[in-house]
Amino acid sequence: MKAIESIPDRKLLLFKSCMVGQEYPGVETATRYVFDRLGIDYCVNDEQSCCTGIGHYTDIFEGLTTAAIAARNFAVARKCGYPNITCLCSTCYAVNKEACELLNTNAEVRDKVNSIFKEKGFDDLVYEKGDMDSRTNFYHAVEILLSKVGQIKEAKKFDFSGVKAASHHACHYYKVKYLDVVGSPENPQLIDTIAEACGASPVRWYEDRTLTCGMGFSQLHLNKNTSLQVTKTKLDSLQRAGVELMLHMCPNCHIQYDRYQPVIEKEFGVKYDMVHMNIAQFVALSMGADPYKVCGFQTHSVPLEGFLEKTGIL
Amino acid sequence: MIPYVNEYDTPNCNTLAETAKKSIRTPESLGLDRCIQCGACTASCPAARFSDYSPRQIVKKVLENDHSVLESKMIWSCFYCYSCNVRCPRNNSPVTIVQVLRQMAINEGIGVEKLAYFLEIGEYLAENGASKVPETGIRNMEKDLGERWIGIKRNLGSTRSEMGLSSRDFRNTNGEVQAILESTGYFEREKWIKIKIEEKRIHGFVKTNYSDKDKKNGEFGFESDRKYTGQEAITV
Amino acid sequence: MTDGTTEGLNKAAVFICHCSGNISEHVDIDTVKKTLKAEGISVYDYEYLCSSQGQALIKNKIIEGHLDRVVIGSCTPSKHGTLFKKCVQEAGLNRAGLEIANLREQCAWVHPDRAGATEKALSLLKAKLKRLENVEPLEDIKVDIVQQALVIGGGIAGITAALNLADNGIPTFLVEKDSSIGGQMAKIGKIFSPDKLAEECAMCSLSPLMNEVAAHPKITLLTWTEVENLSGSAGNFTVRLKKKPRYVKDNCTACGRCSRVCPVLVEDEFNCGYMDKKAISLRFSQSVPKVYCIDPNHCLQLNGETCGKCAAACKNGAIDFSQKEEIIELNVGAVIVATGFEEYDASQKPQYGYGIFENVMTQMELARVLGINGPTKGELLRVSDFSKASSDPAPATCDSRCESSSNDSCAETPKRIVMIQCVGSRDEKEGGNRYCSRYCCMAALKHASLIKKRYPETEITICYIDVRAFGFYENYYRAVQETGVNFVRGRPAEVIEKPDKSLVVRVEDTLNQKIKELPADLVVLSAAMIPSPGTKKIASVLNLSQDESGFIKEKHSKLKPVDSSLDGIFVCGTAQSPKDVTDTIAQSGLAAVRARAFITDSPKTLDNEIATINQLLCTRCGGCLKCPFDALSLNESGRVVLDPLICTGCGYCTELCKEGAVKVAGFTKPQLKAEIEGVLEEGDMLGFVNSGIASLTCDNIGNSVLTYPSNVKLIRVPTSLVVDIDLVMHAFRHGASSVLFVEDPPDNPRAEAIYPLAVRHFEKLKEKLGDSGNRIHFKKAYVPNIKGLAGTFTSLAREGEMIK
Ligand SMILES: Cc1cc2nc3c(=O)[nH]c(=O)nc-3n(C[C@H](O)[C@H](O)[C@H](O)COP(=O)(O)OP(=O)(O)OC[C@H]3O[C@@H](n4cnc5c(N)ncnc54)[C@H](O)[C@@H]3O)c2cc1C
Ligand code: SF4
Ligand code: SF4
Ligand code: SF4
Ligand code: SF4
Ligand code: SF4
Ligand code: SF4
Repeated sequence: MKAIESIPDRKLLLFKSCMVGQEYPGVETATRYVFDRLGIDYCVNDEQSCCTGIGHYTDIFEGLTTAAIAARNFAVARKCGYPNITCLCSTCYAVNKEACELLNTNAEVRDKVNSIFKEKGFDDLVYEKGDMDSRTNFYHAVEILLSKVGQIKEAKKFDFSGVKAASHHACHYYKVKYLDVVGSPENPQLIDTIAEACGASPVRWYEDRTLTCGMGFSQLHLNKNTSLQVTKTKLDSLQRAGVELMLHMCPNCHIQYDRYQPVIEKEFGVKYDMVHMNIAQFVALSMGADPYKVCGFQTHSVPLEGFLEKTGIL
Repeated sequence: MIPYVNEYDTPNCNTLAETAKKSIRTPESLGLDRCIQCGACTASCPAARFSDYSPRQIVKKVLENDHSVLESKMIWSCFYCYSCNVRCPRNNSPVTIVQVLRQMAINEGIGVEKLAYFLEIGEYLAENGASKVPETGIRNMEKDLGERWIGIKRNLGSTRSEMGLSSRDFRNTNGEVQAILESTGYFEREKWIKIKIEEKRIHGFVKTNYSDKDKKNGEFGFESDRKYTGQEAITV
Repeated sequence: MTDGTTEGLNKAAVFICHCSGNISEHVDIDTVKKTLKAEGISVYDYEYLCSSQGQALIKNKIIEGHLDRVVIGSCTPSKHGTLFKKCVQEAGLNRAGLEIANLREQCAWVHPDRAGATEKALSLLKAKLKRLENVEPLEDIKVDIVQQALVIGGGIAGITAALNLADNGIPTFLVEKDSSIGGQMAKIGKIFSPDKLAEECAMCSLSPLMNEVAAHPKITLLTWTEVENLSGSAGNFTVRLKKKPRYVKDNCTACGRCSRVCPVLVEDEFNCGYMDKKAISLRFSQSVPKVYCIDPNHCLQLNGETCGKCAAACKNGAIDFSQKEEIIELNVGAVIVATGFEEYDASQKPQYGYGIFENVMTQMELARVLGINGPTKGELLRVSDFSKASSDPAPATCDSRCESSSNDSCAETPKRIVMIQCVGSRDEKEGGNRYCSRYCCMAALKHASLIKKRYPETEITICYIDVRAFGFYENYYRAVQETGVNFVRGRPAEVIEKPDKSLVVRVEDTLNQKIKELPADLVVLSAAMIPSPGTKKIASVLNLSQDESGFIKEKHSKLKPVDSSLDGIFVCGTAQSPKDVTDTIAQSGLAAVRARAFITDSPKTLDNEIATINQLLCTRCGGCLKCPFDALSLNESGRVVLDPLICTGCGYCTELCKEGAVKVAGFTKPQLKAEIEGVLEEGDMLGFVNSGIASLTCDNIGNSVLTYPSNVKLIRVPTSLVVDIDLVMHAFRHGASSVLFVEDPPDNPRAEAIYPLAVRHFEKLKEKLGDSGNRIHFKKAYVPNIKGLAGTFTSLAREGEMIK
């Protein structure tokens, strides 16, 4: 289990996520907005590439490719002096962490990756064993928020009291490297704790709480029916629990719930009363951020205006 | 047919289990051999809940060294949600094994048509340093998500600018990502896969339409056509 | 004694045993006799030296010839060593004056070539003679054992052990940290039994035993007492106990008036918190001692408020708020640890909803609900349906109500119950335990059966991975199957709560490959057995080895199942490993027997082949204090002293002491040198064999009709640590072509400590020897691996011959 005290607030490389950038840029801006206000020392570096996650989990990349791309991103982080890779996306988190473990423990892969770098003249990318520590150099942005939950509570500008919020904790954060997470992967409270600090009333337990979002990488595209059934199952449960706000921590889940909620409503003839956002967007809102210029709610599929009006933000 | 060699993900071993254990996708402590067929993985699995899929069965086939598992449609149903990984009492990881099996299947040219949809991700990554939803996916999404989303996407550049971001999620990888994909054999494999898909298309094996609405075929002695049971408990 | 050899040899004699052909068929005894006689040594032979006639012969010759040194050529000393030792001692000889040459297992049986065997027999006998030239008498080391025992923990294990000790005449102290003895068995209500297909009343079996403990003249019962400290050594322990104040004197009649007037409600641990009790209470109505006890954390009076209602109500003046904590010091010869288990905290597996959903409970909690003296008076109700009832201080005697039929207001009786097995057991995940808890399959079957008998309409499903109804319990399993309990083979993924508080268990029925969602009104988790906090605490107070889960580790799982890692301390019951009552009682009896044997063997004659310190040479540098068993220490006056009860004679300290002040009696350098000189011929392979498992393995080569060349010579040593470079060089000088160290494998606590030291010792030797380093070898001897060892002997011996 990860100790909250061990989570750093210095030298964080805020690792850009492709899905955030292309679908929900507000997650990035909201995270930066919050980080700035919490006095966190971080940087964003355009040299960083995609973690390969989307391709890796749709099986088009070999493990070696993923490891080499990760090694390159690690070099980017180290070179700019911000070696604590802090991800917006749970898949980036898992892919990087696993790649680091592989590069540290498997000399054959490490040598192969390095020989490719050398051959191409990328000597500055070479990865030596232990350059990164898979336990202490990789974080999810939400962990950083959790470590500052006291400050978040103090910086609260809006009253979300009574807002029935439920969280969906990302599988690739909690279930891949399950020994190195905050709390128990079977009863995660990461998002709930932060939401509570912002004044919301978290629904700490609901049916199918640990069920995956249903995106399933290739599944949304190849087995759309099953994929949406999984998503629907969770939405149904939240609806029964009277949830009005669902909070996530991963752009893939975000797409699945926010983009596809209207699709499910149409295809299955159901109606849901909840809206969606990333926990960082929620924290930003609570700190007084602009719902559009900072949180980017105009890119959401489920309109948030009703929620924002109800809570007095609009 | 000469199989594709992917020595890191699918090292050449005597048995499926050995390959799974030695793959670089697999953590060292994998409890594959210790599986007690308890079914905790299957009971935890979203794919098993809503389709005829069973990680426990897959593990069993692997332990029995039954290569027919590579041909099974089952292996393409996993969500990679890692629920089995977190629940297995023997520290086995069916999700990891499925990943290796899919790689092995691809080497044999099995199921490659499923990759056609996604190959674009690699090309885009090489060029832009980022990933994106493939075009076919976008067309499907446009169909599903309708005008609102199309509008959002159309305005993305200006929205991003308004939010103080660059108009596009720009990555400056100095050509390094392109070079890495090349040297780790990505393009070679992509070419190989494309040829395989073409071969299959010619032989009429491949449907050009990817929305696979087929009924499950009941392989491995499963009941077929299990209906979505919804949320109400079935009384036994 | 070490003066002139001829005179010495005059007083020495050799006895050779024919072993009815076992030796005489391979060794030409006449030749041996002739050769020795020619050297002026008296030699006698006999058909069976171990027979009473054979022993009489030895004794007579010793007395007649005023012998002071005797060599017996016979079977392995492991077989009749003790017998011969006793024999020569009865004839007045110091046991140091006896040497046994192994002419059977390590000569006759392994060397088919008669000439070779004869020659080797001669060399073995001569070596022993030579060794005796340097003999120094060994004084017997004797210690008095304190004739009392301590049993820690008053569960069924401790009760059984204490009664067995006391019945065998050993004054015994039984220390229990709780206010009553009885342990977990008092809580479980009914017990499954292997031979009857019915459940027996646990209290009916336990209660008489508890009363017997209280009444036994040889047992001193100390409840509400904990062990603070243990010092001293085996046979003479000093134990410091802390007896907490009860605030109620022994003249309490358990009338319960005090409890009725006490205004404070306290959560009742005995009833798993399902029920409250008063701040002054009995643990349960059959408590022993039957004296009320005040909970100091909750009593108003003891927390600065004025109350004293209980004292006013008590007609006997039994309540005494002035009682103080008492420190008691005891002297005991042996200790039995019986501190038991606790139930695994099932909230560590949130997927099963324990602690989240009200109607998920553990088997122990179900036991309380089904218990006639429990929160529902034995009626099966869901937690969400029964409100906390205050404990009824009037004793509910179990026999009167045991079989009372249910009252028929079954409205809230759960209709569907699902049990989940192996919760926290057989689980490699964080927070889980890898072992099988051994009791829970049976406990689930028991509860299913009890419920089925009283509420036949209830649907019960047990989700299992394997049903472990070992031994005769299979009968019980069959009987329960016949009551219509459902069994689903699969480990459930999760428990789901519905808005009406009913539950659903999601599981794959792996036998028909269907995912089932089993509806349930009540889910019962068969939670693992883990060592109780008291067990973990006592292990650290007494410094006992624990296994990875915290159970107290026994010395040897098969041969010494109740000996802890420390001499004189024994362990039994669930403090040692998960088990049921039957096994607990069996093991506790053994612990009592072992403890009694240890105590009554007093004064104890200790193995005298242990370290001795020459205080004249010792500079008190402390180098030897690194003894792996902590047998050496500095006393108040700065002298290095040895605890003879702890020293294993391993010899590690001989190497540590730079002054040569430490030696192992019986294996001093002059003695070993003499034996080397005597035994070796040019080109021999010399083996130094650990006298434990390694010697046994060498003997087994003989027992198994395997052979090796007769130029293999073996010398028994306590461990290879006594062999230093000097001795190895000595062996080379006297013709050894190679030297082999045969060590015990590290699979008992002693060898676990020695083995790594022996390996390091060997590596250092090799380094120091430089070029000759490749002439020394090391081998780990497992008893079954006799072929391998014989092979090593053979190849090294062949090499030796070739060099020659
Ligand atoms: C729900 C359930 C049902 C069961 N049903 C059955 C059954 O039907 N049949 C069966 O055979 N077995 C059954 N068992 C198993 C049975 O309960 C145990 O085998 C038995 O109780 C073990 O006895 P014990 O004396 O080893 O331990 P315990 O009963 O735990 O006794 C240990 C005692 O030591 C005391 N203690 C602990 N630490 C210290 C300390 N440091 N100093 C002083 N005292 C200390 C404790 O207070 C306790 O009184 C069941 C177990 C459970 C959980
Ligand atoms: S959960 Fe693990 S042990 Fe159980 S069937 Fe699945 S892989 Fe095997
Ligand atoms: S990772 Fe795949 S096999 Fe495992 S639970 Fe998720 S969908 Fe099932
Ligand atoms: S009232 Fe006195 S005698 Fe009666 S139970 Fe209480 S303390 Fe004991
Ligand atoms: S003095 Fe303490 S135990 Fe006695 S009645 Fe008052 S609260 Fe209860
Ligand atoms: S006794 Fe049965 S329920 Fe208990 S751990 Fe062993 S197999 Fe599991
Ligand atoms: S012989 Fe071994 S056990 Fe005895 S004192 Fe020396 S080192 Fe310790």
